[in-house]
Amino acid sequence: MFRVELLADKGSVPQPGWSYVADRAFNPAQAAIAPTLSRKRGIRDAGTGGDMSSRRTNAILRHISELDRENHRDVAVPIPVKQAKEAGARGTRAKTTSNVRRILQSQKTFRNHLDDEEAALSNAAASGATGTTVQSGGGMSAAATAAVARVSKAAAATASRRSSTPVAPLSSAKNKKRGAGASASTPTPSVPGTPGVAASTTEADPEAAEEDSERKQKLLKTEHDDDPLLRSYAPTMPSDKIVQRLLAEPPLSYNASRAGPPISSRLPRHFCCMCGYWGKIRCKNCHLRTCGLDCYRVHEDSRCGAFF
Amino acid sequence: MGTSKARASTKAQKATPDVPTRHIPEKTFVLDNGAYTMKAGYAAASSLSSEDALATCTSIPNTIVKTRDNRTVIGAQISTQITDWNETVFRRPVEKGYIVNWEAEREIWEQSFFEEKATARNKNLRIASPEDTTLILTEAPNAMPILQRNADEMVMEEWGFGGYARCLGPTLNAWNELQSTFGDPLTSTDADIMPMDCLLVVDSGYSHTTITPVYKGRPLQRAIRRLDIGGKFLTNYLKEVVSMRQYNMVDESYIMNEVKEAVSFVSNDFKTDMEHTWKADKKRQVEEGVVVDFVLPDPNAGRKGFMRPHDPLLHAKKKKGASSGLSSEILSEDVLVLGNERFAIPELLFNPGDIGMTSAGIPDMIMQSLSVLPPALHAAFLANVLVVGGNALIPGFMERLETELRPIASADCVVRVRRAQDPICSTWLGGSRLASNREELGKVAITRQEYQEYGSGWAGRRFAGTV
Repeated sequence: MFRVELLADKGSVPQPGWSYVADRAFNPAQAAIAPTLSRKRGIRDAGTGGDMSSRRTNAILRHISELDRENHRDVAVPIPVKQAKEAGARGTRAKTTSNVRRILQSQKTFRNHLDDEEAALSNAAASGATGTTVQSGGGMSAAATAAVARVSKAAAATASRRSSTPVAPLSSAKNKKRGAGASASTPTPSVPGTPGVAASTTEADPEAAEEDSERKQKLLKTEHDDDPLLRSYAPTMPSDKIVQRLLAEPPLSYNASRAGPPISSRLPRHFCCMCGYWGKIRCKNCHLRTCGLDCYRVHEDSRCGAFF
Repeated sequence: MGTSKARASTKAQKATPDVPTRHIPEKTFVLDNGAYTMKAGYAAASSLSSEDALATCTSIPNTIVKTRDNRTVIGAQISTQITDWNETVFRRPVEKGYIVNWEAEREIWEQSFFEEKATARNKNLRIASPEDTTLILTEAPNAMPILQRNADEMVMEEWGFGGYARCLGPTLNAWNELQSTFGDPLTSTDADIMPMDCLLVVDSGYSHTTITPVYKGRPLQRAIRRLDIGGKFLTNYLKEVVSMRQYNMVDESYIMNEVKEAVSFVSNDFKTDMEHTWKADKKRQVEEGVVVDFVLPDPNAGRKGFMRPHDPLLHAKKKKGASSGLSSEILSEDVLVLGNERFAIPELLFNPGDIGMTSAGIPDMIMQSLSVLPPALHAAFLANVLVVGGNALIPGFMERLETELRPIASADCVVRVRRAQDPICSTWLGGSRLASNREELGKVAITRQEYQEYGSGWAGRRFAGTV
C-alpha cells in the first residue's frame, strides 16, 4: 500500500516538493474500505496535533521562499543587444576562451548549483573513500579535532570547577607542562585590547615568565594567596599550532553554514494576520490568528479558506 | 581541461609560486561585488585618511532594470535615467551573495569599468588596461567551488587582469583602522598597515546576514554562520504586509525599499512599541509618534516619497473632497499608514521565528559561531564585534544587538558592538588598505603568468590557502 504525502524538506532547498514514501505496514484506519474518520474531518484537523503538520511546515517554507524572490513575477530581463560597431570594438581586445563561453552560456541558477553540490557531497559520502574530507564537520584532520577538543575540554573542566573546590595541583601541573611546550616552540599569540585574555597569556616566553616572577616577588605575601576561592581560571590561549590548524580548515558547505535553531527557547510569538497586533484568537477553520473580533470578521470574509 | 588540470597540479607541487621575477601590478582596483550595489574604485594611497579614501569609492547598482515602458537600463545609468520607478523589474547577476549569472555580470562590469563611452565621466572607475592592474574581488563566505572557479576563469580569461586576489569580503574589514571605532589607544601609527588580531564581523547585507570570526585577517572557517535574511527579504516582507493591509504593492520593489529605508527601526522594547501602535487607541498612536504616514512618490508630478507624522483625520478630510479646504496636491497624494510594520519587519533579524523560520537570530548566531572555537578566543571576539552592511544603518540595530548579546555572553567577557564608520563601504575600504601593504597582498594575489601556467584549478586552491 502506498500513500503520497507532502513532506517538508528542510535540507537542501527551502521549497516544498513531492516525495514518495513507502508505507509498508497495513493500517486498517487508512484503508479505504473501513475509514474510521470521515475524509473531510481528517483534512480539516490536520494541524491540530501537538506537532506542526507537514502541510503547515510546507506553507511556511513556501512563504519564506516567496519572500526570497527578486521580483514578484517571473520575468526575463534580456541583456540589450549590442550595436555592431561596439561589438566589433570589443572583439579586438581578446578572443573568448572556451571556459568563458561555457560560463556565459550557462543558464544555471543558484538553486541548480546548490543541487549539484549537494548531489556531489552525498555521492562522496556514499562512496565513503573520499567522503571524510568533505563531509565530517568541514573536513578537518582528526588530529586537529582531537587537539581542539582537548583544549576545550580542559577549559571546560576548569570552568566547571569554579563552583566546586578546585583541584589545584592537577591544573598547575598541566600549566607547567603547557608552558614548557610553548616556550620551546613559537610564542602563543597574544590578544591585545581584551582585558579578559591578557592575563592568560603570561606563559608565552621565558622573559615574560621572569618578569612575572619578579612582579610576584614585589607583591605582598598574605595567607590568602593560596586561597582556592581567589584563584583566577581564565581559559588558556590555544597554542599556535592549534590556531594554525583552525585557520587551515576548508570552508563548510553552503547548507552546513546555515545558522541552527536558537539556543534559548523562547515561546513562539503569534501576530494578527490582518493588522499585525498580537494574535490572540485562532481561526477555527484555518490556523491563522487574529487580534480581535474586528480583524476576525475581515479575515473570515476575505482570506479564510487558505487552510493548511 | 582534464589533462591540463592534472599537469597543473603536478607542477604546482614542484614549483613554488614565489619566484623572484614575480610581479604584481602596482595599480590595484578594489571591487566589493555586492548583490545590491558594487563598491568599486582604485585603492587609495595609504597616506590618505579613511574619509578621503572613502571619497574615491563609488557605489554602482549591480543590476539590469526593465522599466514600465520596457526600457532596459544597466548599472550606473539607473540613477540618472530612471524617474518612474513604478513596476520596474530587476535582474541581478548576484544571487544569494554569489555571482551566478556571468552573462549579466559581464554586461554590468563592461558598462561600469571598461567601456570608454560609459566610463568617461568617472576616471576612478575606468580600467583602461587590465594587464597592468591588480583586481581585489570580494566573495561571500561558503561559496560553492564551481562558482569560485567561474569567477576566476572570467576574471583571468575574459579580461586578463595582471594580478588578481579573490578575498572573503568580511575578512577585509579587519584591515581597517578600528582602534578609534572601538576606542582603543592607537598602538602603532607609523608601522605597516596590519589587520586586527581578533575581529568578529557581522555582515548584514542584501542577500543574507553572516557571522565571520577573523583572526589576523584570516577567517576561521568552521565558525562562519549564515542567516538567510537580508535586506531583500525584509523589503519583500514589508511589501507583502502592506499589500495585504493597504494598497497592492507587490510589483513595487524599489518603492517599498525606499519606504523601508525611510521608516523602519529596530525596536528596543517590542511589547511597548506594539501597544503604541494598537489601532483602537487612536489618541496614543498620535501622541507616541510610532505611527507615521508615508506619502508615495508621484512620478507624473515629479514628487519624491517622504515620511511625515500620522494624521488620523486625513482620510476623513479627503473624503469630503474640495470642500475640506485641502490643496489639490494633498488630495491627489497616496499615503501609506505604517504602524507596527515599522519595527516588526526588521525584528525578523533578531527573531526569525516570527514568520516560522527555525533559524536563530543574530545574537544567538554569534554565540553558535563562537561555540565551535576554543573558549579562550571567545573573550577576544566578543570584545571586538564589528557590524557592516546596509542593515546596520537601521536605527536601533546596534543597541538591540548589544543588549541582546550581553546577557547570553559569559559574564566575565567584555562585549563591545560597534558599527563601522561607513558600514556599506567598510569592506571596500579594508580592501583598499590591504592593497597598500604590498607584501601581504603578494601573499594572497596571483599573477597573470601564474594563472596561465598553472590554470584555474591551482588558482582556486591558492585562494583557499592549500597551495
